[in-house]
Amino acid sequence: MWNLLIISLAAAAVFAIAALGELIEQRAGILNVGLEGVMLLSGTFGFMAAKTSGSYTVGFAAAVLCGAVVGLLHGVFSITLGSNQVVNGMAIWILGFGLTTYVGYPYTGPLGLSPLPRVAGLPPFFLLAVALAAASWFLLYKTHLGLKLRSVGENPSVAEVSGISVVRLRYLSVLLAGVLVGLAGAVYSLVYNPVWSYNYLQGWGFIALALVFFSLWNPFLVVAGAVLFGLLWQMSLYPELLFPGLFSRYIWRTLPFVITIVVFVLLSTRWFSLRWGATKPAALGMPYTPEG
Amino acid sequence: MRTQVAGYRLRIEKRGETRWWHASLASVLAIAVSLFLLGFAFLQAGADPRQVYAEIARYAFASQFGLPQTVNRAVFILLCAFAFIVPLRAGLWNIGLPGQVYAGTLAAFAVAYLFGGKAGINAALPGWLVIPLMILAALVGGGLYGAIAGFLRGRFEVNEIVTTMMMNWIMLWLVAHMIREGGPFMGRTAEGEGFSLPLSVRLPQVLNVPLTAYGAVLLALVLLFFLAKTTLGYQIRVLGHSPAAARYAGIDTLFISTLVFGLGGMLAGLAGYHYFAAVPGVYKIPKSYGDFGDFSFYGLITGLIARSHPLAAIPVALLFGGMASGARFMQGKLQLTFGIDYALLGVLMITMVAFQALSEYRLSIERVPTSVALPLEREESRVESPHH
Repeated sequence: MWNLLIISLAAAAVFAIAALGELIEQRAGILNVGLEGVMLLSGTFGFMAAKTSGSYTVGFAAAVLCGAVVGLLHGVFSITLGSNQVVNGMAIWILGFGLTTYVGYPYTGPLGLSPLPRVAGLPPFFLLAVALAAASWFLLYKTHLGLKLRSVGENPSVAEVSGISVVRLRYLSVLLAGVLVGLAGAVYSLVYNPVWSYNYLQGWGFIALALVFFSLWNPFLVVAGAVLFGLLWQMSLYPELLFPGLFSRYIWRTLPFVITIVVFVLLSTRWFSLRWGATKPAALGMPYTPEG
Repeated sequence: MRTQVAGYRLRIEKRGETRWWHASLASVLAIAVSLFLLGFAFLQAGADPRQVYAEIARYAFASQFGLPQTVNRAVFILLCAFAFIVPLRAGLWNIGLPGQVYAGTLAAFAVAYLFGGKAGINAALPGWLVIPLMILAALVGGGLYGAIAGFLRGRFEVNEIVTTMMMNWIMLWLVAHMIREGGPFMGRTAEGEGFSLPLSVRLPQVLNVPLTAYGAVLLALVLLFFLAKTTLGYQIRVLGHSPAAARYAGIDTLFISTLVFGLGGMLAGLAGYHYFAAVPGVYKIPKSYGDFGDFSFYGLITGLIARSHPLAAIPVALLFGGMASGARFMQGKLQLTFGIDYALLGVLMITMVAFQALSEYRLSIERVPTSVALPLEREESRVESPHH
């Protein structure tokens, strides 16, 4: 039981770090629905780098770099070219899914590095996720830069008039997001489940995307939601620990996805949408074209 | 953005309006560039890309084994493309194609199962009754499953991308439940795959092609008419252009979003019926059913490349059907690693989006008067008018 909780926290780290990245860019008005694709790309390239070099550091560096590059790519489409952000996100996802299937296939199998040690009995990346949540809360709500970031996500024209470069800040946000999401991809493929197989991420990127909406764009609620989904995921993998003999193991695997939809619907009800409407960045998903 | 190169002034600016040929050119260029990029994978495998493509084309479109394979895959892609196009016309993203494909498939096989189709390959079932019922079940199963996402979107504004994606995974595991480890649809001999359909309930073929292929072409015409000429089709397009305008016009947005996802689900369900219950050599839910779920995303890219036009989707689906069957063939021949067709899918998607975005811009090239182009005189002119 204790072990289950620990593994759940390891899973939560992946959800949380990815969702925090997405939260930062959404706060600046950029919606990337292709989180899954970014994580597949960074996770796969990180895995390949770590397996070839035999070093975690190289793997993480490759993943973070890859995440940043893909994040910037989404930025070029969404910020500079101003095309539909949903389409761009979908493109990133299918690119990640298609390309990694081909590129990663020769690396199918376990990573073969000795697992990272736990810190104070907890998975190290969960602690990092908590620290990152605090850091992004501080950045967004307690610094001048955070105020500027949020302002370009609420009302870019007004921000521009008050002397803030919308383009520059949005690029900064996609870069930060890319780094975090890239890191999350590597935490999955190098730490949580260091065995590469095709389309290994199983929809985690989409769950992380849903988490951002669940959290009402609050970094601490992201972590809480991530822990919940980490637990759910582990329960779906080992249902016999809690409910032996009930349903087949395949039915249990649908649990996290069913719950995601249920929570999503509950949060979108009238009672909730009043609050939701108040916290959702007003310019989310809208391209900004400077006037004149 | 503007620069000056050798006496010409280059300027990139947003087009006032995008004409259809800009978009078509973007689609054609995206396909061409993707095939060019994929050529590097063949080069890396030590083969001449030109020869590889020639062989793929020969196998996919001119060989006795390849051509039916191409057509069957193309029909699957085409139906999935329709399933993607209908909601997209209403501005909604149906990425639940795999889930709806599986839902339709399970419903169709449930009919065969209830009629005792699991008894064996030679079981004598009333085909005239069971076959239409299977098709109907596939439509209903896929349609209902699809409609859930549309209803949630219309009623609660729940993001349809997240729900349809979650529903894909739910269905993936439900199929596993049905065909593995003693599930009701498990084959009697083979572990981990569904039972084989009896000969009596397999869809007949005309000219070596299952009837579903003809149905798909017919559906293209029906959809074209439905989307362009009917009131419902008009309402769908209005919602796609502007949800606010649709509400002002008194269009029932809940109904429309449920409808488009229901229709999309029906078409995807039919795609599932086609591939698992009508294609020669399959006639069951195979172990690798997940691959066909992934394969359904070719329908997504086909819909985008065809710019949501049902007729334009036909040649695109044939091309990708041919690429997929040919690429699998070459994969074996060249000892390429698994997934070359997936790589094409990914590269196509990103180049497609890039070209579509770029097609909204234009490059204007103007000749700069020669006197200004000379560096010395430019300096002078700057002096003359500092505000230039």
